[in-house]
Amino acid sequence: MQSKLSDIALIVKTLAGDQSAYADLVKRHQRFVFTLAMRFTKNREDAEEVAQDCFIKAYRSLASFKQESKFSTWLYSIVYTTAMTSLRKKRVDTTSIDDEDTYIQIANTSSGYDVNNAENRSRSFYLNQAIAQLTPDDAIIITLFYKGEQSLEEIAQTLGIEANSVKVKLFRARQRLKEKLERNLKHEVNELI
Amino acid sequence: MSIEEKLWDYIDGACSVEEHEAIDLLLVQDEAFRQKYLELLALNREIAAMEIEEPSMAFTYKVMENIRADYAKKPLKVAIDSRIIKVIGGFFVLTIAALLLFILVNINWSASTTVALPAFKMPEMKSLLSGEVLKGFLFFDVVLVLFLFDAFLRKKGIAKHA
Repeated sequence: MQSKLSDIALIVKTLAGDQSAYADLVKRHQRFVFTLAMRFTKNREDAEEVAQDCFIKAYRSLASFKQESKFSTWLYSIVYTTAMTSLRKKRVDTTSIDDEDTYIQIANTSSGYDVNNAENRSRSFYLNQAIAQLTPDDAIIITLFYKGEQSLEEIAQTLGIEANSVKVKLFRARQRLKEKLERNLKHEVNELI
Repeated sequence: MSIEEKLWDYIDGACSVEEHEAIDLLLVQDEAFRQKYLELLALNREIAAMEIEEPSMAFTYKVMENIRADYAKKPLKVAIDSRIIKVIGGFFVLTIAALLLFILVNINWSASTTVALPAFKMPEMKSLLSGEVLKGFLFFDVVLVLFLFDAFLRKKGIAKHA
């Protein structure tokens, strides 16, 4: 019945030397950690590498986890810093990581293969496509807020900024997402006509 | 604050009671405002219903394998708790200090400079170096050397096969 244990109970067992408890912790959080990594890397191979790296780093530093916040918040802050470092390492040009055009270009190259099946695309496909076109910061805030069960304060802790800044960034990210979604849908309609 | 900002606060449940009531009223009275609200609400629902990504099937296994490999690579120096080393070191330092203090306390400083050594008779070694005891000792040594040599060859063989 180990799957029903809380994160803290699994951490205690891991620190006592039970590695299978950590495997349970990994299983519990891997989907979301992988999704966050995908928001940065935009491809599965790199995202998996980053996500693995995060869990290894978390294991090494588990004893330093003070339990003042949720384990997920602590883990996501590791994901954020690891993914940012990985992204900086991989960048060969000098454009800012907040440069939206860079991400539009990356997202478009990966999504161009199924133009012929446009009529089969669901609304969720367009949403994922629009998220992929956002900057990592925008995509991360939206993902943490909607799928990570994180409050504005917890997101602020993960990103190392003020909660008010998170609120403003979330508003802007949602606005940009809406614009991109509308633009993509308009483009598809034009293509069909 | 823009209309959109107010509406997002309303959707997130982050506005005050007064703001909430004001928006409720606007939603009833202003059709354009209501349309905007419905548009944002639909987007909000869509994002909330978005599926998250799934890593490969072997993800957990790979993480745990990396952790095991990482742990195995750790040198013995890191694995040993430094507190144990300090306790052992402290024990020896204290023992030596106590012994030194005991000797210093027991020295008769007023005694004459000539040291009278106690009468000591060297043990008879000839009887030990000959006979059954020596043969037994040598036999044990030979067996021990053969045993260690065998262990060394086995280890070498395993390393070669690996």
